[in-house]
Amino acid sequence: MNKGLVLAALVAVAGCAGPRTEALLADPGGLPPVAGVAAVPFHPQAEKACGPASLAMVLAWSGSPVPPTALASLVFTPGRDGSMPPDMIAAARREGRLAVRLHGLRAVLAELAAGHPVVVLQNLGLEVRPVWHFAVAVGYDLPARRIILHSGLEERAAMPLDTFEHTWVRAGQWAVVVLPPDRLPAAAGERETVEAAAGIERAGRLAAAAAAYRAVLSRWPESLPAAVGLGNVRYGLGDGDGAAEAFRMAVGRHPGAAAAWNNLAHVQLELGRLAEAEDSARRAVELGGTGEPYAATLAEVRAARVAATSSASVR
Amino acid sequence: MAGQSVRRGMVALVTAATLLLSSIPATTFAALVSTDEIIAASAARGDRARVAAFLAREDVQAQMRALGVSPDEAHARVAALSDAEVSRIAGHIDTMPAGGDALGVIIGAAVLVFIVLLITDIAGLTKVFPWTRSVRE
Repeated sequence: MNKGLVLAALVAVAGCAGPRTEALLADPGGLPPVAGVAAVPFHPQAEKACGPASLAMVLAWSGSPVPPTALASLVFTPGRDGSMPPDMIAAARREGRLAVRLHGLRAVLAELAAGHPVVVLQNLGLEVRPVWHFAVAVGYDLPARRIILHSGLEERAAMPLDTFEHTWVRAGQWAVVVLPPDRLPAAAGERETVEAAAGIERAGRLAAAAAAYRAVLSRWPESLPAAVGLGNVRYGLGDGDGAAEAFRMAVGRHPGAAAAWNNLAHVQLELGRLAEAEDSARRAVELGGTGEPYAATLAEVRAARVAATSSASVR
Repeated sequence: MAGQSVRRGMVALVTAATLLLSSIPATTFAALVSTDEIIAASAARGDRARVAAFLAREDVQAQMRALGVSPDEAHARVAALSDAEVSRIAGHIDTMPAGGDALGVIIGAAVLVFIVLLITDIAGLTKVFPWTRSVRE
């Protein structure tokens, strides 16, 4: 280990430029040279609590002010004396926010340019002696080669972009954007975004999940998971008509989606539209086979129709 | 939670149907296909992958309990993650980074480590000491 450290020190004395920083400066693409998110409230961290503090900052920016002390129970792991990255993502979703993992330094800066603060994990030390640290990126200045961070006890601290790159790459390039549920990240794909929305649904924040699914559909109208997800959360919220509308949109765009027909059948059954429900349930079985849950749905719908007919004939 | 409320809805529905028409037994229990299953299906992943992800979740929860996180809390943390996100962390909790502190970490560092970190700080490779200025600043 000592040999490695000495070697690292020898290599380091030269002063290392970061390859990603160099690439960004050589070709900024559509990135403006300077960007900043003005309205990110700063929370100085308590000991070992850079995770809760960082999360509190982005949550407050996104319109959901929660004190860091209240977030500690959601993210802090006593056995590790710190907060683990997946718990940061989960906690943001449990607060009804759209939390999406970003890939690449360019994506981080693109979010900043779009006015979205980004939670980053850094290893401020060396691989053999890590010092893990969460901070919130709030701006950058490419010509000056700087990134601006709310970090530890420092508000809007400027760090050389090269140093940030080294510390961030050493921490696995972990960066997450936390947004209001109706706002989409600038630099994330459909799949990650819809999974983030599904995370909000699984955390039980149905109204927020509905907003997120709607936002996904506004950018990716063909997203089947978003359309079905919207139907499922509306159903969970007791909005049968809204759920039927979403499922109908799903089968309109994806006529071969058995699951969407199945869910539509359920809602139609519940709304008392028994003939339509049977049509939908039959489509689900035709497309998806007689396995669960399609055959069960069809049986349930048919039973309801039989019951309706027999009760009508009794009258 | 969403699943539970949907299921509760379905149970209520089945119960109502059974009460109304006692001649027709509520046989198979049907439910909505969840959003997760749609996502899993659209990624062309089979049942096996889902089962694996499920086992991974149990694994993750067991590890978290050992780390001082209550079972309920562990469940809530894992629940908000996608299958893909969960399978990435399963089995790696002990080696996963835990962002703790940038305050006072150097206390107890050996002299060699101190000097190495001082040099790397100045070179802009690390940023352990708040009072160092890298050559790039």
